[in-house]
Amino acid sequence: MKFTSLTYRFLLWFLVGSLLPLALFGYLTLLQNEAALQSEIQNRLTRLADKKTLEIKNYLFEREQNARLLARGKLVEEAISSLSVAYSRHRPDSAEYNKALKQFDNYFKAYIDENSLFYDVFLITQQGEIIYTMQHESDFATNLIKGPYRDSLLAQVFRESRMTLESSISDFEFYAPTNAPAAFVAAPIIRGGALTGVLALQLNTERIYQVARDSVGLGLTGETALAKLIDSEQAIFVAPLDSDPQAAFKHKINLKTSAIPMRNALMGERGTGMGLDYRGKQVVAAWRYLPELSWGMVVKMDADETFAPLYQQRKNLLEALLALILFTGVVAFYFGRRLVVPLKSFALTADEVAKGDLSKRVDETRADEIGALGRAFNRMTENLQSMYRTMEDRIEERTRDLNVTNEQLLEEINEREHIEKSLRESQVELLHNQELLNEAQRLGQLGSWELDLVSSELRWSDEIYRIFELERATFTPTYENFLSVIHPDDREKVNQAYTQSLEYRKPYDVIHRLRLADGRIKWVREHCSSEFDASGKPLRSVGAVQDITEQKVAEDRLRIAATAFETHEAILITDKNANIIRVNQAFQDITGYSSEEVLGKNPRILSSGRQDRAFYTNMWQQLLTTGSWTGELWDKRKDGQHYPKWLTITAVKDERGETTDYVAIFSDITSRKQAEEDIHNLAFYDSLTSLPNRRLLLDRFRLALSLSARSRHYGAVLFLDMDRFKTLNDTLGHDYGDLLLIEVAGRLRSCVREADTVARLGGDEFVVLLEEVDMIAEEASQKTAQIAEKIRVALTEPYLLKGHEYHSSPSIGVCLYRGNEESVEELLKHADMAMYQAKGAGRNAAHFFDPAMQLAVETRAALEADLRRAVSGKQLRLYYQIQVDNDQRPLGAEALVRWAHPKRGMVSPAQFIPIAEESSLILDIGHWVLETACQQLEGWSKNELTRELTLAVNVSGQQFRLHDFVERISAVLGAHQVDPGHLKLELTESVVLNDVADVVAKMHALKALGVKLSMDDFGTGYSSLSYLKLLPLDQIKIDQSFVRDIATDPNDAVMVQTIIDMAQNFRLNVIAEGVETEAQLGFLKQNGCMAYQGYLFSKPVPIKEFEALLGTGNS
Amino acid sequence: MQNRYLGKINVFVIVSVTVALLFVALLYVQYGRSRPGIKIGVLHSLSGTMAVSETPLVDAVRLAVEESNQTGGVNGRQIEMIVADCRSDAEYCARQAEKLITQDGVQALFGCWTSACRKAVKPVVEKHHHLLFYPLQYEGLEQSPDIIYTGAAPNQQIIPMALWALEHKGKRFYLIGSDYIFPRTANLMVKEILFAQGGQLLGERYVPMGASDMAAVVKEIATQRPDFVLNTLNGDSNLHFFRALHEAGISASKLPVFSTSIAEVGLAAMGADLTTGHYAAWNYFQSLDNAENKAFVERFKQRFGRERVLDDPMEAAYIGVKLWVNTIRSMDTTDLKLVKTILAQQTLLAPEGIVAVDYATGHLWKTPLIGKARPDGQFDIVWKAPQPVRPAPFPFYRSQVEWLDEQKALTEAQP
Repeated sequence: MKFTSLTYRFLLWFLVGSLLPLALFGYLTLLQNEAALQSEIQNRLTRLADKKTLEIKNYLFEREQNARLLARGKLVEEAISSLSVAYSRHRPDSAEYNKALKQFDNYFKAYIDENSLFYDVFLITQQGEIIYTMQHESDFATNLIKGPYRDSLLAQVFRESRMTLESSISDFEFYAPTNAPAAFVAAPIIRGGALTGVLALQLNTERIYQVARDSVGLGLTGETALAKLIDSEQAIFVAPLDSDPQAAFKHKINLKTSAIPMRNALMGERGTGMGLDYRGKQVVAAWRYLPELSWGMVVKMDADETFAPLYQQRKNLLEALLALILFTGVVAFYFGRRLVVPLKSFALTADEVAKGDLSKRVDETRADEIGALGRAFNRMTENLQSMYRTMEDRIEERTRDLNVTNEQLLEEINEREHIEKSLRESQVELLHNQELLNEAQRLGQLGSWELDLVSSELRWSDEIYRIFELERATFTPTYENFLSVIHPDDREKVNQAYTQSLEYRKPYDVIHRLRLADGRIKWVREHCSSEFDASGKPLRSVGAVQDITEQKVAEDRLRIAATAFETHEAILITDKNANIIRVNQAFQDITGYSSEEVLGKNPRILSSGRQDRAFYTNMWQQLLTTGSWTGELWDKRKDGQHYPKWLTITAVKDERGETTDYVAIFSDITSRKQAEEDIHNLAFYDSLTSLPNRRLLLDRFRLALSLSARSRHYGAVLFLDMDRFKTLNDTLGHDYGDLLLIEVAGRLRSCVREADTVARLGGDEFVVLLEEVDMIAEEASQKTAQIAEKIRVALTEPYLLKGHEYHSSPSIGVCLYRGNEESVEELLKHADMAMYQAKGAGRNAAHFFDPAMQLAVETRAALEADLRRAVSGKQLRLYYQIQVDNDQRPLGAEALVRWAHPKRGMVSPAQFIPIAEESSLILDIGHWVLETACQQLEGWSKNELTRELTLAVNVSGQQFRLHDFVERISAVLGAHQVDPGHLKLELTESVVLNDVADVVAKMHALKALGVKLSMDDFGTGYSSLSYLKLLPLDQIKIDQSFVRDIATDPNDAVMVQTIIDMAQNFRLNVIAEGVETEAQLGFLKQNGCMAYQGYLFSKPVPIKEFEALLGTGNS
Repeated sequence: MQNRYLGKINVFVIVSVTVALLFVALLYVQYGRSRPGIKIGVLHSLSGTMAVSETPLVDAVRLAVEESNQTGGVNGRQIEMIVADCRSDAEYCARQAEKLITQDGVQALFGCWTSACRKAVKPVVEKHHHLLFYPLQYEGLEQSPDIIYTGAAPNQQIIPMALWALEHKGKRFYLIGSDYIFPRTANLMVKEILFAQGGQLLGERYVPMGASDMAAVVKEIATQRPDFVLNTLNGDSNLHFFRALHEAGISASKLPVFSTSIAEVGLAAMGADLTTGHYAAWNYFQSLDNAENKAFVERFKQRFGRERVLDDPMEAAYIGVKLWVNTIRSMDTTDLKLVKTILAQQTLLAPEGIVAVDYATGHLWKTPLIGKARPDGQFDIVWKAPQPVRPAPFPFYRSQVEWLDEQKALTEAQP
């Protein structure tokens, strides 16, 4: 027991020493991975939750702004006064009311229908009468204080707004008249400080649900839950869930037992983390509180899905650790036992010896310390035993000796005579025996020797001298001399073997080399055993030496042959009848047959049948005549797979020239073949889709053209690319892009005939070549159009990329051809052009090449080439259009660029600015304009009349995006010593809608310089009110498209009115452009506009005329 | 034999202990390399007339900072508070703000009490695009990308109180206030709201800051006999006003006074008997009955003494720090632009209940409360808004420009 515990201790320390650090390391790694994974998921959820809350906040904020602006508008004021009169004097269903209604109905519809931001609009009098609704539901003409809907949210926001004179927004709740959940935004209508009514807007849940439903980035189990409290322990969902589309306003959540993230959200907390959700499942979640609606939002993913990779990792680690523990445990246990078992038996023996049984011995064969211990013990016991025995013997002997001595003395005399006689006889016999022995030793190449360790005399037999090739006469055999014959490298080995054999009293057997006097090497085998006296002292050693040189050489040869046999090339050996007698490992690896399966069989079993009989006949003929054959052939593996191999067969002949065996050596050249094929494919095929590449397409196309010239058939070439492919690549990564291309290639192939060519030119560009479509042009285009449509439909089907559904569509350009009339390159160019036209026309379409289009493209290219020379050629002119204030005093001008083309005359900016914007020419032009404008300002600053004028300059998007734009402006201003306040930069919405952070920063920097900023074309883009607030603008410019119809179109009138209201709200200056009539001017003036520009005052004119205009204007 | 074995074990133990120690040392070095502290600036008057009011706010900020530091600081960094004494001088305070920003490198400022102080510090904060948390209820008509207003806007305090008084006490009202920007602007709003509800103004009086003679005003009130008085007096004037009322024999039951600037801390200083039965509006009272607040009161008393009381401005100062800490913790950066973006989306379960930063205005959504003063200096809550109210620093019925013109006219009209 005590000993076994050593084993266990050994085991324990082993585990502690080796496994504990390993387990610790694994655990730490896991912990780190978990933390990294969790923080990554949490970051993602945080971003998504922030995005969603902002979407909802912005939606509600903008609706409230809409209500506020509407409530301030003039038309609402008129509506409430005239409708309340019609409503109270007549009945709500009377003709008078309907008449009054008509003009306002259109107004609201025009304002609201556009993007259906609202479901309904209400006008409510101070007394709570709903005198107008657009939808005309059952709530119309009811009273919100006394009527049936007095407890609705509509009534609530009405009361709130009436009371606090503040706009108010409600939560979503089921609203009976609409029979759906609805929220309301109310704003008081105040005129002259008095409340005249309340305007309310009804919102539906559509936009909110959209936000909730959007599960991009949330994986398979992710969803967005929105809920509100109904009491302290329960909440109710207010938007559908991915897992439960019916949840909204129906299903409740128990907050006491589950839904920890939602509970946090509804408590007003903002955060991310793990917890049980409403289903009681562990989730990773981000929670947000929406003060606008008192709602909680939870964006979450199941922990199972999120941490799946981690669980797998944990399982793997555990398994590996277990296996390791088991393995090392067994090893440690085994070694422990090995150590302890002999010790145990040792102890038992020692015990018996102690009891007096001196004949016991312990095992001493082990070579380690335990063996040494055993030997020491045995020697000790032996000494003890022999001492004991000697003592006993001596007493007995002495007694016997005394008795015998007398008899002996008598006998001795007789005997000596007898002995002398027989000695003489045996000496003769001995001599004879000695000769026989010598003879035997010579035959067996085995010599013997004897070493007397007492006298140190060494005797060798004759054979030894022969083996060592030494002369008995000249060589004295001593141990040292013997060692000197041994090969120097082996001396130590032999010496050690002998010394150890004496020490351990064991015979030895050793093979070593000799180095003969002439340097040759001989291999010998040596046996030896020794005799010892009772005390263990060695007395005599006897040994034999055998010459094994020949045997050794044969063995080496065999070994080399065997190694050579096992190469990576397969070797098959048959007898002369072609029966397999031996194969090597490589053969088994290549063919799949084990050696047992093929031994005795004919190699025919390997044949694939791809080669005909003649092939084999030929092979055998050559083999028989020349003795070898080399070539390539196809064979079959055991699993039936065919493969190419390179084979060499050689006939082996014996001394008489008869064939005894055939040796076949072959290697599998599948991969070499594949590589050859790949090289071929690379040159002509696209490696991703395996479609023909540009080179092969051009080959085939040229061939098709010449065929068409002969057959007089029309063919067609289709050029197509995938819409928004770059976006896919940028957002989901190139893996997805590649998958899409492969899928597109497959679909394209399935849409056309086998003979047609589908090629990929690179990127997402594909070309389809349809040959021999029809003899008649109309028919050909008809058929081609059908195929193009088929392709378009096939490529518009949704794509499933790694489980993601993705939608894309192609734009296709088509061009017909016949004969060699046009070159391949030209035709491809035409198809490409047609494709760009398809793209221009809104994508997802097929367009035929049209020569008129080509003309336009060429004209444009020519114009662009001319434009490049325009700046350097001093062909640009700056025109000035005056801007005036309410009293028509000049405020300044807008600088407009004109191009005086040497041949075409004046080219309109509408024609050349878009071209310039597509290339970087706009930068040169922009710089020229700025430079010229500042030069002008410098000139004006010297004149009393013009000193205070400002000059507005348009800035293009490209120009504004220059990283050193601000520095450039500052440099130009400095160069001309212009007061920055006189320069006004006009930015369009498309400029400022790009990269908000950068734009805002630059605008602030420009403001810091003192430059004025104006927003051009306001109202045509998508600027939202909240966005406008971010921008440090000085002025907004109402686009001329609104001004044009201001007097006739009520929609435009409202728009302009709204813009001016809003601008005043933000304390911005407003200028209207395109003012052409007095009526327009009057309307604008009445609504609070402050500055004007347009033909009413002057068209854009050259500087001379402009200065003249100022002169007259001031005189 | 046994000795040798034991010897082996000892070597083994020594080796493993050494390895373990090295490992621990490594970990210690890794984590012990603590990140430098993160500084915030506190701008309050610790001397001069405002010291009594403002010193407790420094304690509230200190409590929030200490709590945050005990829970790991912000992203492993301890918050260091640098307190600057504004000496009840707005211009001096602005200079201190400049120093905290440019010399001390603070990441945020917490402070100011009076509107004068805020208006002096605002341009400094805006010049550096820095960040200020302002904890007091105020007159509104202000908004800054660089200021978070954690106190009430008028529509979260005085306006709901005036409407409640009108509904429960009657339509005839009287306005009394100190002569500076807050009372004048607040009353401008109140009058219009109350007029719209049929209210009737009996008198409107402004007394100079620190005025102690209230006899004339009280006499006028006694003769006018309004249904309620709306009181926007500030500081010591309150003591004189309530004493004068008391001396004139006008009791709270006969004529309730509704105040905007009387809170627990002030009452503890001036004695509660004079105000018992009168009303005050805030977003926080120490008597609020919810778990969050009870724990907050307990923590505060444990830290600063059982005799201390808490009130609305202190709580607003406290949640300012909390909002800032939550923001920094959620994103591990001190880039002010990013901090302000995330700050605009913060929500918090505060002692007063849920508060949320309004995305559009930088003020907080807060729940208006009306309390009735008890003899022990605490308040009984008599009315609570059903949910947090959106801050409206610029009331809707005038445009922003009109409001600013109105306010300009008010301040210019003053001598």
